[in-house]
Amino acid sequence: MHELQIAEELAGIVLEVAANEHLSKVSRVNVSFGQLAGVVPELFETAFQVTVAGTIAENAALEIETIPVKLKCSSCNAEYQVKENNFVCENCGSFEIEIISGREMYVKSIEGE
Amino acid sequence: MEIKIMKNILDRNQNRANEVRAMMKEKNITMINLISSPGAGKTTLLERICERMCGRLRIGIIEGDVTTDRDAQRLKRFEVPIVVINTEGGCHLDSHSISKVLNLFDLGNLDVLFVENVGNLVCPTAFDLGESFRLAVVSTPEGDDKPAKYPMIFRQAKAVILNKTDLMSYTNFNYRNFVNDLRKINPYVPLFRVSCTRGDGIDEFYAWIEKQIIQRQ
Repeated sequence: MHELQIAEELAGIVLEVAANEHLSKVSRVNVSFGQLAGVVPELFETAFQVTVAGTIAENAALEIETIPVKLKCSSCNAEYQVKENNFVCENCGSFEIEIISGREMYVKSIEGE
Repeated sequence: MEIKIMKNILDRNQNRANEVRAMMKEKNITMINLISSPGAGKTTLLERICERMCGRLRIGIIEGDVTTDRDAQRLKRFEVPIVVINTEGGCHLDSHSISKVLNLFDLGNLDVLFVENVGNLVCPTAFDLGESFRLAVVSTPEGDDKPAKYPMIFRQAKAVILNKTDLMSYTNFNYRNFVNDLRKINPYVPLFRVSCTRGDGIDEFYAWIEKQIIQRQ
């Protein structure tokens, strides 16, 4: 359910950038969410469309890229992608694991004219 | 035309959280963000903490509640400053809502500020409030699969409190599975087994939390 607030924050950034760039229409918004960010793409799409209704970003295509969870082991330096939530090194069994990607929540770019 | 942005969507929340954290540090206040599902026992845990902490440390409480002030009513007897934030349906607190109510406290007169977040294991994890650390509360009737299903909160938590251990034998909660899953996500996190209604394990947890606060001063 926090998708709505995230969508509002995104709309704020998109409309601010669009105004600075003197765009009259935003046709596409490109965002990235990590798998661990807890954002449900379908819900987010709906929340975003509701939020931008009546603005120059109304009906803009929302492109959501999902970033997989990548871990790095501080003991053996192995880097790998995980499917399950297992933060123990696959390679050496160490617990000293750093999450290097998978928590992102960022707006990459917008397209418009 | 395409315009590159590359910006964290929750930038505004993060900036305000950083301001709150700096202010808490300046005032020497430990802010603790309590996160759990609804009904896991956050308020009862706060009651057990207040019973032991009142008179030893100066407590403030922010109660995040969707619509009522019932949690705050339960804590009134401790005569500590409590501010309720009604989220009006919102599923989490954010740093702006915290920042707005901080001036209602006498911050020079506080050692610790407990924030009881809205009951939810997903949404609150995405919003930094400016807290010193987070605590995850989980209870046995919810099932032993919570760490596997909601990894972020268990990864972020400074300690995990397993509540309602007195009910374990009435449920299918498998303690070994719970610990195995938790250790895969956060191998070293302290785990406290408590029953907030009966008082089991509370003294051990209390000793830990008081130490965390005093160490920061």
